[in-house]
Amino acid sequence: MADIGTVKLAVPGSVRRGSVARVRTLVIHPQERVERQGGRSVDRNYRFVNRVVVTYLGREIAVIEPSTAISENPTFTIPFRATEAGQLKVTFFDSHGVKFEGTAEVKVT
Amino acid sequence: MTATLTRRAWLGLAALGAAVAAWRPWPARAQGHLANLAPEEPIAETMKRLFGNRTIKDGASLITIDMPLIAEDGASVPIAVEVKSPMTAESHVKAIYILAEKNLRPLNVKISLTPAAGQAYVGTNLRLADSGPVRVVAETGDGALWIASRDVRVAVAGCAA
Repeated sequence: MADIGTVKLAVPGSVRRGSVARVRTLVIHPQERVERQGGRSVDRNYRFVNRVVVTYLGREIAVIEPSTAISENPTFTIPFRATEAGQLKVTFFDSHGVKFEGTAEVKVT
Repeated sequence: MTATLTRRAWLGLAALGAAVAAWRPWPARAQGHLANLAPEEPIAETMKRLFGNRTIKDGASLITIDMPLIAEDGASVPIAVEVKSPMTAESHVKAIYILAEKNLRPLNVKISLTPAAGQAYVGTNLRLADSGPVRVVAETGDGALWIASRDVRVAVAGCAA
């Protein structure tokens, strides 16, 4: 998992001003699941993404709180209203206190 | 004599202070322990914990759940949820909860949205432990709750824990 933490973002090439577009985002991450032994959960510090913040033009669009029941390499599609050209930013936080960021430029016509 | 003791006490305090300062950030880095996860419980308990005794209205006409009927691999089941909403400051969907009835920890994910999203939509991939209903609860800005559900058959269990 050498590339753990790689964030990918996909936004449409250009968006009509005022319309709603969607950003698809993904982070390369193991999103560890709880292990069980003899029918009981093993207690250790599992590593999974537990918070995702999506901002557009510096304003918050969405906050996602995933659990371990989200697939490996968590992916999310989130809508946003394209009011102006600017930066869309997604920040993934994991349970080990590590932060992964990705940005995309939104072009408005 | 007293001066030495005071100095010693001071050093002790300083060491204690340093230890506390060093220890503090540790819980923030270790959020993956079972105590920080949602407890293993039946879905009824999760619903109670999340929504208390608030009434949840049938939102089948408001909430669209796009999921395969048969999921080949429970480790990654695509889901897309859309809730009909004008997404204005007065009337918008504040949060979407996705819960899997057969998972040991039923809450898969909570998504909080702001009116700037323009649409109440989310797409992601779930882990499903077994065939069963997936519930979606939408919470609007005024605190009203709506629920919809979809049955999914899982061919290979996803061990979602």
